[in-house]
Amino acid sequence: MAKSAEELNKALADAVVDMDEDLVADLANEVVDNGYDALNAIDQGLAKGMDEAGKLFEEEEYFVPELLMCSDAVNTGIDILKPHIHMEAAGEKHKIVVGVIEGDTHDIGKNLVKVMLSSANFDVIDAGRDVPPAVFVDTAVKEGAQIIMIAALMTTTMDKIGDTINLIKERGLEGKIKVVIGGAPISPAFAKKVGADAYSINANAAVRIAREMLNC
Amino acid sequence: MSDTMTGRERLLKALKGEPTDRPSVISACQYATYELMDAVGASWPEAHRDAELMATLSGKGGAEVIGLDAIRAPYCQTIEAEALGAKIKSGGKTHIPSIAEHPYKVDDVPEFPDDFLTRGRVPVAVKAVSLMKEKYGDQVLVMGGIGGPFSIANSLIGITPFLKAMFKTPDKIQPFLEMGYQAALTFGKAYIEAGADAIVIEDMMASLDMISPKNYRQLAQPYEKKLIADLGVPVILHICGKLDKVMLDIADTGCAGISVESAVNIPAAKAAYKEKGIRLPIIGDISPSGVLLNGTPDEIKDAVHDALARGVDIISPGCAAAPSTPLANLKAMVEGAKDA
Ligand code: B12
Ligand SMILES: [Zn+2]
Repeated sequence: MAKSAEELNKALADAVVDMDEDLVADLANEVVDNGYDALNAIDQGLAKGMDEAGKLFEEEEYFVPELLMCSDAVNTGIDILKPHIHMEAAGEKHKIVVGVIEGDTHDIGKNLVKVMLSSANFDVIDAGRDVPPAVFVDTAVKEGAQIIMIAALMTTTMDKIGDTINLIKERGLEGKIKVVIGGAPISPAFAKKVGADAYSINANAAVRIAREMLNC
Repeated sequence: MSDTMTGRERLLKALKGEPTDRPSVISACQYATYELMDAVGASWPEAHRDAELMATLSGKGGAEVIGLDAIRAPYCQTIEAEALGAKIKSGGKTHIPSIAEHPYKVDDVPEFPDDFLTRGRVPVAVKAVSLMKEKYGDQVLVMGGIGGPFSIANSLIGITPFLKAMFKTPDKIQPFLEMGYQAALTFGKAYIEAGADAIVIEDMMASLDMISPKNYRQLAQPYEKKLIADLGVPVILHICGKLDKVMLDIADTGCAGISVESAVNIPAAKAAYKEKGIRLPIIGDISPSGVLLNGTPDEIKDAVHDALARGVDIISPGCAAAPSTPLANLKAMVEGAKDA
């Protein structure tokens, strides 16, 4: 018997948590075949599963490899569902620029932040790694993003975050573009010192912070 | 009170858990800083590829200028990968070299080269150790640094593909772990032949920041254990980040000391060791990105006293020192141990 949309969404979420990419693909195809709402399946299925995986990561039940596998499963599902999203249903997505600061090529944490934000239905613009301050600001302006999220993983690179924030001020964009920072050496005290709008301890918290900042 | 033991005696005793004139201070990971480079006249990037300069920066810098009980080479963890075919991006004066291109893909079957010891910077680091042994060997412990098999294996194919392969095709990563083990053992044996008293294994990827306790036990710990047994000299094992759930597994590797960051609950680990009758000195845990980089010398002395009070046996930065760390702060670690 055919499953209901709710049942399929629940199964999708579980399959993401279980890192079962093949099952996600099967379920996503089932959603499409039944003509169920694809956006809903992303939101209530895939994103929910990734959110759960993020919680397991915070609880130290899951680790980086597990999150990478979950995120592969999410991406597989999105690839199948995306062409079937009704454009009007999709609505306007908030844009967020994410990147790793100049001199720093540690991008695993940043990629997790990206995955969580995309799964939470933000339009993420990935500025990549080793990103100079001016590129962060230029990209945000060009894309009309209201938030820049910057990662630094080394004590030797974290000071460049302050340069980015100063540049935002110099260009009179303070308040228009908010800056969220994270990465292992970053602390709330450091965030305050350099004038960042928020510090995010992990990828899940980054989603909560973005939602608060944008009221969504 | 002035010292009555040489650094070498002090550290050897501290590693055995025997009484010392004062707490021992080392830097298990790299300690070259800009001010240290200026103080001894040997700098990056040249010191990465020149044995004399490496020996001066590490040896003179560590033993004479900072006053550590052990000196070590090299500064980065890309030497094995480079010797096994990775393309390296120079870090210039201000950064450590990093891997620009990994030598293998997951599907490749790697073969360990016979001429490993002549490749890239391997001979430089080995020669630096022999020069340091000649000059400082009677005063301080001379240590050669190698990567852990798990971390070297990661560097051969890249961390994300590696971590995914751990799940999808675990059979395919075994040859890379084997190769990591062979590279580490060959490198370590060469250091020992060149006069190294001890070996430091940096297995930064084996951290619980990256992998689960189960993966650590299956894929990292067994290779660390085998490597330590085969090296046959005292080995300090350094792993970054969180480790609480595997502190007993680490003790089981047979290492002479475990070097940890402040992310580890040291009193809890000590209690667990005591209960099991394990005598493994804990080395650490002065925060390299916190107090050591940003604090004042007095704050660092306090941090040393606090670490000792929490049960740290041998004082060291918790991980590699940031190159912009003030020299006065590194010296303050030693001062803090002197007035403890
Ligand atoms: C993996 C790793 C690497 C990999 C990186 C692969 C990659 N593509 O990212 C490789 C091998 C390439 C590498 C290279 C180097 N590394 Co490295 N590396 C690590 C390691 C082991 C783990 C980092 C990691 O990915 N953690 C897992 C992720 C998930 O955690 P995370 O990044 O902290 O992210 C979480 C939060 O911080 C937060 N977050 C992260 N980013 C962001 C961003 C935003 C916007 C927000 C809101 C939140 C957020 O959310 C994430 C999860 O929820 C750490 C040590 C450690 N155990 O932390 C060293 C470490 C960071 N590396 C270090 C060093 C020195 C280097 C090298 C210079 C060494 C060398 N010569 O090989 C090069 C540097 C290259 C460069 N120029 O950047 C040092 C930095 C020391 C310092 N000065 O502070 C560390 C601390 C280890 C050490 N002491 O040796 N490294
Ligand atoms: Zn470390």
